[in-house]
Amino acid sequence: MWKSIVYKEWLKIRWFLIGYTLLGILGIGYLFLTVKHGFAFSGGKNIWNSILFMGHQFFSPLKYVPLVGGLTIAIAQYFPETVNKRIKLTFHLPIGENKALLMMHAFGAVSLMLSFLLFIGMFTGFSLVYFPVQMVTDSIISILPWFFAGFAAYFLIALIVLEPEWKFRFCYSVVGGFFLTIYLNSPFTGAYGPANTGLFVLAAFLSIALLFSAYRFRKGEM
Amino acid sequence: MEKISRYLLVFIAILTLAIILPKLYWMAFEKPIRKPFILYSCINDDFMIHRISEKTWEDTKGQQYTREEYEQKLPMMFEKQLITAGSMPDSIKGIALDMRTISKAKSFFRLKANEIDAPFPELYPLFESQSGRAKLDLPDDFFRITWRIEFIDAATNKALEEKSQLFSAALFQKGFSFPAKAISGLATPRKSVDEGYLIIDSKDQLFHLKMIKEFPYVKQIDVPEGLKFRYISCVDFKNKDFYAYLFSDKNEIYILTQDDYQLIKWPVVGFDASNCDLKIFGDLFNYTVIIEAEDHIKAIALSPDYQVVNTYTETWKLKEEQTEGKIFASLFPAQVSMTSDNSKFIRFYFTFSEGFNWLIVNLLFVLLHLVLLFRQRANYRNHAADLAIIAASGIFGFVAVNFFPNKFFD
Amino acid sequence: MNNVIECNNLTHYYGKKQVYENLNFQVSEGSILGLLGKNGTGKTTTINILNGFLQPRSGECLIFGENTQHLSPRTKARIGFLIEGHIQYSFMNIRQIEKFYSGFYPNWKPAPFWELMSKLNVTPTQKISTMSCGQRSQVALGLILAQDPDLLILDDFSMGLDPGYRRLFIDYLREYAKAENKTIFTTSHIIQDMERLIDDLLIIDFDGVLAQTSVNEFMGSFKRFDFVPENDKTDLKKAPFVVNLDKVKNKVELYTYSSESIVKKYLDDNNITVSNFAQVKMGLEDAFIGLTGKY
Repeated sequence: MWKSIVYKEWLKIRWFLIGYTLLGILGIGYLFLTVKHGFAFSGGKNIWNSILFMGHQFFSPLKYVPLVGGLTIAIAQYFPETVNKRIKLTFHLPIGENKALLMMHAFGAVSLMLSFLLFIGMFTGFSLVYFPVQMVTDSIISILPWFFAGFAAYFLIALIVLEPEWKFRFCYSVVGGFFLTIYLNSPFTGAYGPANTGLFVLAAFLSIALLFSAYRFRKGEM
Repeated sequence: MEKISRYLLVFIAILTLAIILPKLYWMAFEKPIRKPFILYSCINDDFMIHRISEKTWEDTKGQQYTREEYEQKLPMMFEKQLITAGSMPDSIKGIALDMRTISKAKSFFRLKANEIDAPFPELYPLFESQSGRAKLDLPDDFFRITWRIEFIDAATNKALEEKSQLFSAALFQKGFSFPAKAISGLATPRKSVDEGYLIIDSKDQLFHLKMIKEFPYVKQIDVPEGLKFRYISCVDFKNKDFYAYLFSDKNEIYILTQDDYQLIKWPVVGFDASNCDLKIFGDLFNYTVIIEAEDHIKAIALSPDYQVVNTYTETWKLKEEQTEGKIFASLFPAQVSMTSDNSKFIRFYFTFSEGFNWLIVNLLFVLLHLVLLFRQRANYRNHAADLAIIAASGIFGFVAVNFFPNKFFD
Repeated sequence: MNNVIECNNLTHYYGKKQVYENLNFQVSEGSILGLLGKNGTGKTTTINILNGFLQPRSGECLIFGENTQHLSPRTKARIGFLIEGHIQYSFMNIRQIEKFYSGFYPNWKPAPFWELMSKLNVTPTQKISTMSCGQRSQVALGLILAQDPDLLILDDFSMGLDPGYRRLFIDYLREYAKAENKTIFTTSHIIQDMERLIDDLLIIDFDGVLAQTSVNEFMGSFKRFDFVPENDKTDLKKAPFVVNLDKVKNKVELYTYSSESIVKKYLDDNNITVSNFAQVKMGLEDAFIGLTGKY
């Protein structure tokens, strides 16, 4: 049963996931090309100095990359389900409605996670070529909330898309939009250190948010 | 499951609203508090207060001055202006004045609370202190102090073994206990000379580390028993009187004198590093310490041998004590902020409103919600939890439970 | 016979607008029942309640004895559901969609699906979204047949189909249902189609159920008499046997469950003289309009 669900979700998101992942890989490749260029032309010590003491954040172009990923995968996955209220087909399957939704959701989230892990892995690997581990750690502390925001956006879009009433889609969008901003402050490198655990937990809270709007759909709200 | 997901959403919405609504409120209604600019006059032996927004200049007795008179009372601050205007005295208190003497004694130091509670870099450049060159060069390698001191070449990102071993051995021999708790120094080539770093080791011992002719210079500094430093800020003043301002965990201010490594405690009280900004103006006649807290400013004038000669305090109403603040405290039971004026870290900063007016407003929102439920002919029992949420979180909870409606849940 | 569907005291409102109050009906095993009603009388509402996509204000529907608000997976496996407009996963092709659904149903029978597909002029890798409405309807039907459910719920199956496909759909479905003793609950806005398909009908109007009976019984007892009244004084609408009355110029169309003799006696008793009195033979569509009125 789960194989069939995975199969359907895969059919929906595959090109988006592959496309997004490829673009992300190219983006990270480009990011480190600029770092390499900087090392060659400005000298490593000046790059280090500007990162350590002048607030330069070489990773800042990555800021919205995870958010875009979350939005892309969520829309690719859930938009086709709401066209003509196709989600009814899922609810009619001989499987608990919530179970079906959570399987779909887990597949999307895991796909997104694999993509993110690849990005973070690449980022860490390349960073370690140019920077000592302390600087890499600080960079990762800074980019992690962006990845949490990617997951949160994925969960929120599912909630919003599955909501049957436009009025409430608007409400969710307002709350969701403001909520995402707490992941996207532009602070000093490493500043998110004390908040990251909490931000992770909050994003995790949203992982079952779609059950709420799907429930409203099933109860005939329109 | 659906119920749990709803409560989680309501929780997220309350948190988000508690961040956003107060922020928007203050953006709309906050009135700026203009702190006075205070300096100490060696002519009057009194503080001179410049109120920037009112464009007034006065002393602590209320005597008003024109801008020119004000500047004449502060010849150490406005020496260039006075010389241009031809009103610079030849001597003050029997000390003959020339530009060189004045400028050599002048220093300015500023520390904000958010510089102390902040992420620090873990790598620093160790300059050559006696390169024999006029300008300092940024070194090719940066050091970190973990289980030893390691110099990493920035071009290759590899540790320089020989240098690391040499310096680690030197630190070890002087009794340094790895790793370091704090490293402070001026990590910039834009300074007059290099004085290396002051380093606190894992046992709260204080060390001075420099590189002289490629060799380590390590000096353990005697620190009185029980004294722990919370923050050290190295300075590069022309008079070379001291290396650094040091702030103890009891909010005392110390200086560390140059060459003889004496720790001298300044008789300054009323400073709290966790929420005060600090300014220190030094000149030929005084050190003026300005402590800016949220609701008051305190100025302390010290003699050149660091004795208190005068103090002045001025307080004002916090934004919380003004009308807008009182309305705020009624409307919102709490405020959450991700950032703080006193820290560079992102955290969930909770501030709970003073008083209990918000409780009344919360109950009004409970009533409003009851009216809505009545109009929907809802079964009140299904909404008990929502009502409790509103009673506790007021406007935030009211908006949250209506944005994520409790429909169909029995 | 057992009731496959049983709806008791269904009441539903959209906001303050009442859809129906205390609606009751049953569908027995092996029967093909058509739910007929004008637009806005609650056909789709009923389908949604049956499928658990709508919680009625009060009352309940049972399918195989289970409340449709909480159908177990086992029961859902026994129900085939055709969504209005033959909605399916149009981003799949027929091979993919067959593979997808086969994973859910232990009794999956691919043969009828491929048999239907072979009649369509589509390639196995053609996306459903590129197919015509008629082709899509066959895909949706094929999937339901492969699922081999005991109950089929079809929401407006004729929507968007040309007459050929409608005929194909109906004939295939009826033959299948009768051969395998399946129960069908269906709506359609084209009532001619229903005549070929259904055994029983349930006609609802704005104030509730107008008729629930077999098609044969309904067609046998519901009659239309046309005549031209000479002296038009009495309001025939007040006559107890009149279900509906329509006037076209001078001619009166009277719909009733009563016999010709009762009508004639009433006319005589009330001194209404008429000419051209005749019973008119009706199809199901005529009878439906006669019963529910044109507006």
